[in-house]
Amino acid sequence: MGQLLTRQTQHVGIIIAVAAALAAAAATGACRSEPPPASTAPVATRSGAPAVPRGGTLVASIRTEPRSFNRLVGRDSSTELVSSLTQAKLVRINKMTQEVEPWLAESWTRSPDGLRYTLKLRSGVVFSDGQPLTSADVVFAFDAVYDEKAGSSLADSLQAGGKRLNVVAADPQTVVITFPAPFAAGLRLLDNLPILPRHKLDAALKAGTFANAWGLSTPPSEIVGLGPFVLTEYLPGQHLILNRNPRYFRKAADGTDLPYLDRITIEIIPDQNAETLRLEAGQIDMMTSEIAPEAYAPIKRAADQGRVRLFDLGVALNPDSLWFNLKPGAFGADPRAAWLQRDELRRAVSLAVDRKAFADTVFLGAGVPVYGPITEANRTWYWAGIPQPSADLDGAKQVLATIGLSDRDGDGMLEDGNGRPARFTLLTQKGRPSVERGSNVIRDELKKIGLVVDVVTLDATALIERIGTVNYEAIYFNALMSDTDPALNPDFWFSRGSAHFWNMAQKAPATDWERRIDELMTRQIASLDEAERKRLFDEVQKIFAEYLPAIYFVAPRVYVAASSRVTNLTPAVSRPQLLWSPDTVAVTP
Amino acid sequence: MTRVVGLAVLVVAIVAALGAPVLAPHAGDQSFRGLLNAPPTRPHVRGDDGTWHRPFIYRWTLVNQLEQRYEEDRSARVPLAWLSGGRLVQSADEGRAPLLLVGADSYGRDVFSRMLFGARISLGLALVAALGATLIGSAVGGMAGYVGGATDDLLMRASDFLIVLPAMYVVLALRAVLPLVLAPSTVFLLLSVIFAVVGAPFIARGVRAIVRSERTLDYASAASALGAGHLRLLARHLLPAARGFVAVELTLLVPAFIVAEATLSYVGLGFPDPMASWGTMLHDASNVRAFADFPWLLAPAAAIFLVVLGLNLVLQGPVQAGPNFRTPTVRLKPDTTREHL
Amino acid sequence: MTSGPAEAGHYILGHYILRYILRRLAFAVFLVFAVSSVSLVLAWSAPGDYPTESLGIGARPETIEQTRERLGLNRPLGEQYRDWLARAARLDFGRSLLYDRPVGDLIPERAVNTAVLALTALLAATLVGLPLGVFTGSRRGGVPAGAIRGASLVLLSMPPLLTSLLLVFVAARTGWLPIGGMRSPGAPAGGITIDLLQHLIVPSLALALPLAAMFERLAAQAMAEVVGQPFVLAALARGVPRRRVVWRDALKAGLRPVAAVYGLVVGTLLGGSFAVEIITAWPGLGSLMLAALQARDVYLVVGCAGAGSIFLAFGTLLSDAALALVDPRVSE
Repeated sequence: MGQLLTRQTQHVGIIIAVAAALAAAAATGACRSEPPPASTAPVATRSGAPAVPRGGTLVASIRTEPRSFNRLVGRDSSTELVSSLTQAKLVRINKMTQEVEPWLAESWTRSPDGLRYTLKLRSGVVFSDGQPLTSADVVFAFDAVYDEKAGSSLADSLQAGGKRLNVVAADPQTVVITFPAPFAAGLRLLDNLPILPRHKLDAALKAGTFANAWGLSTPPSEIVGLGPFVLTEYLPGQHLILNRNPRYFRKAADGTDLPYLDRITIEIIPDQNAETLRLEAGQIDMMTSEIAPEAYAPIKRAADQGRVRLFDLGVALNPDSLWFNLKPGAFGADPRAAWLQRDELRRAVSLAVDRKAFADTVFLGAGVPVYGPITEANRTWYWAGIPQPSADLDGAKQVLATIGLSDRDGDGMLEDGNGRPARFTLLTQKGRPSVERGSNVIRDELKKIGLVVDVVTLDATALIERIGTVNYEAIYFNALMSDTDPALNPDFWFSRGSAHFWNMAQKAPATDWERRIDELMTRQIASLDEAERKRLFDEVQKIFAEYLPAIYFVAPRVYVAASSRVTNLTPAVSRPQLLWSPDTVAVTP
Repeated sequence: MTRVVGLAVLVVAIVAALGAPVLAPHAGDQSFRGLLNAPPTRPHVRGDDGTWHRPFIYRWTLVNQLEQRYEEDRSARVPLAWLSGGRLVQSADEGRAPLLLVGADSYGRDVFSRMLFGARISLGLALVAALGATLIGSAVGGMAGYVGGATDDLLMRASDFLIVLPAMYVVLALRAVLPLVLAPSTVFLLLSVIFAVVGAPFIARGVRAIVRSERTLDYASAASALGAGHLRLLARHLLPAARGFVAVELTLLVPAFIVAEATLSYVGLGFPDPMASWGTMLHDASNVRAFADFPWLLAPAAAIFLVVLGLNLVLQGPVQAGPNFRTPTVRLKPDTTREHL
Repeated sequence: MTSGPAEAGHYILGHYILRYILRRLAFAVFLVFAVSSVSLVLAWSAPGDYPTESLGIGARPETIEQTRERLGLNRPLGEQYRDWLARAARLDFGRSLLYDRPVGDLIPERAVNTAVLALTALLAATLVGLPLGVFTGSRRGGVPAGAIRGASLVLLSMPPLLTSLLLVFVAARTGWLPIGGMRSPGAPAGGITIDLLQHLIVPSLALALPLAAMFERLAAQAMAEVVGQPFVLAALARGVPRRRVVWRDALKAGLRPVAAVYGLVVGTLLGGSFAVEIITAWPGLGSLMLAALQARDVYLVVGCAGAGSIFLAFGTLLSDAALALVDPRVSE
């Protein structure tokens, strides 16, 4: 019953969204309506469960401290988590359906040219300190995110075609958002932006100190929001306590107040082993990240004993990737420049690595081969036609021979035309098993075709510094994409982008295929025809698979677990898998 | 007697390290893909039917990959092959049923072989570094204790400085200025120096205290009065008094160095992955599953223990002696004093 | 019987001690200054800085530059150093970028937590390790002495990371003890409570076990040497009971090496342990320093290093005092 109720709310949400979009976009016919959410996990409470229990405390864990209570400043996952618990957005992307839902905005219309959205705010919504939400707060949030001095890291993600949105308060309950250019993903990008209390933060913005506002030393009572919980205590290095926000706007379908929980305690547990042990021992209810492959077995045992529930959420959205430094001239006079940046090298690497062996060693078999950045977890945008060549050592060697790498002295390893060994350094992050182990497998696999790889592990900061200063030969790392819709990841796809790692922030596309991807993506982002967008993006993925600027090997299966006292869960494949919808989670007393 | 046992343990360890290429059934970096975290293959001499055979093993078959559970395939005996392919012993069917005396690690590599190869790095590094630390520490401590005054202050404060300096940052900074890929010999040298310098202050403090107090003893003043040179007095009479202390410190430093090598490789200054060392093997085993399911991954800790025990027995033999046994240190003093008288 | 020289010099002792302490204090101030300065330089020379780390991969260079400017990290290092020095002289140690609080507030808070842990561990290790060491050192062979010695060597062979993890593992599997953090959420945040004591057991054991082993080894070796000395033999020959000789007369000399390193141990313990504090999620100086290192929070790193040097200066002073107490010949 409980589960049914929340499912209904979700349906109602989707129906409103779809209806609004239909009404608005009839002219362009740009409405994408997905079937209702497919269940990805064995949610036990779904059939005939009793009413959702109210009250109680949920204990979750994070590995690192949040950097700020100001989501506009902090980019880390802990900041994001606290923000998602304490703040609310205009619209929400339902992580299970990957679709947009009305949230603070209860409905919207779109102008016939698709550029202007008129959003109607829910009435009677108040911040946790009792101040009512008005359109001024929405305008304020945009002002803050675009403020030069604030330098928000979210500013880039709230742009369409490299330009800002124009936001105007039409009346206290209505906001008009105008896109600078046709933008297919539309309101999806609003999922990034928490609506902040103008009455608390306006002074800081005016004074130019917004970037310092709501730092970790702020008294919790000052952190006011529209989310289901309010921060009540923060002990650095120990825990955060969030109490139920009695003024939270959302109601369950039966009209009762949300959230169900009285309190969420977030313990800061730096060590992953300790985190797993505490989950097993029942001292925490859930982790906010997925279970590492090596921790699967003990959690499984606890699940078999009925102490925790284990969810298999399917294939991950963001696989780790290997890329070479493709910035022209990056290797200067280094003779290896002749082959390190060649497309053939990357094709040979992709061809040489046995993805099955990779999955076995790195993810204990719980992974699927991938050949591009978009995995099948991305239901809308995955291109099923992507070529999936099987590992072929001889083929890889032949490809390398075309760029002058062959075994010239009979030692089994490859040399270039001048007899210098074919050898490069692969940097990866220390202390992150999936990339550390992945790099080692890549090293072993490439040795089979005669390439010598020196794997060097660095701490995250040193690694990021080297990526930023373009001081590396090759890197194996994981870069998260912010959303499933490619229109919201322009920094990755466009050659000018800051997450176009292999050759960042290009003034003009360095290669012909990057120019083609730029063109296709420009059209893809602007098009309001979903079928057209899909076709264009398939084309992008095809070019990507051909030139392999980043090479993908295996995407792991995502497992999460929660203690069996937690009910009403709606696990989704992206982080935080179990807490993305915190207002409907409940615990049995 | 205990000293002989200790010596024997150390000799075995050193022989194992030197003879690794022959004694180890596999290369240190050879991984068996289907045998990640496989348990040890116990050599048997008696089959299930009670018949006797030459030593053989059973093959492990994977029952559950994600949980890494294995079962012995008792249907076929895999005999051991002695002295084949330049190795002392292997299984007759290396491809399917490799001999894993102490089990396999998380990459499916033979833990026993890696321990033998790892002994070269770990023992070599720890012994060289411990020797260096002893030399530096004794010299500094001895000088500080003997000369006293401003020299004493200067040396001891310098060693305080070394102890409190965040070593992690020194290493991070070093990592930044050194080339990314270092030859193993360079890494060895670098780590030896770092460890020796970091370990020396601990020895220096103790040696200083002992020298300082011995200096005032009658025999020392007497030797001095008889015209024994400063250096001679220090080296022949005072430093030997610190022998016992240094011996204990060595048994503390050697395991600490073996383990610290893994810590340094955390910031990227250790030996790179396929090379085995006891420290990195233990570091890799530092997870919950090792205790619960794969205890053989902790084998390097047992190896470290044996080496430390051996060292302890050799260096601290007299500890076991009762009141009627005079330690060499103590015996030395009256004798030499008499000599000078 | 070895206290002659000290008694003889008694009348100038007060003056001497004062001068000695003043000199040590001057050294301590210098040590703190030197360690802080060097850590600052080292922190700067490590690759990457706070904005690179906190903004992460894929951040726009302009955003990083802007953050640097906002935090004042783009100024020349010489200027930053002068600035830091000038403020440090007024006891303002800068602001932690990571925690958004003055370093001078943050460090004492965490230092107290570490001190609680360190002193508990030290007490336990001393109370267990020393007597055991005296026991094994004064005994000829025997099973108990051998067992103690073996146990010590096992503990010394275990990496601290592994010891902590093993204890946490045992605590989790048995369910006897809380396995992480310092207090349960919701428990009173101050004072010594049952809750705190329960949380204290696992981390303090992780620290105390190898420490006790070290004390045991040091004391055993020294005792073995001392009980061979003529004065002990003489005492035994005079018919003084063995127990009394060992525990009263020999003990003092046997404590010498322990006293020599005791201060170092106190100093380093108070500085915090990375492994133990991370595994057991103890909010002390060690985990603070590691977080600061990882985030390139330079002033916090410097603060932690500086605090460590103060503790060490205190520790060495303590050590020398203890040494003078058990063996007055050491002092001038």
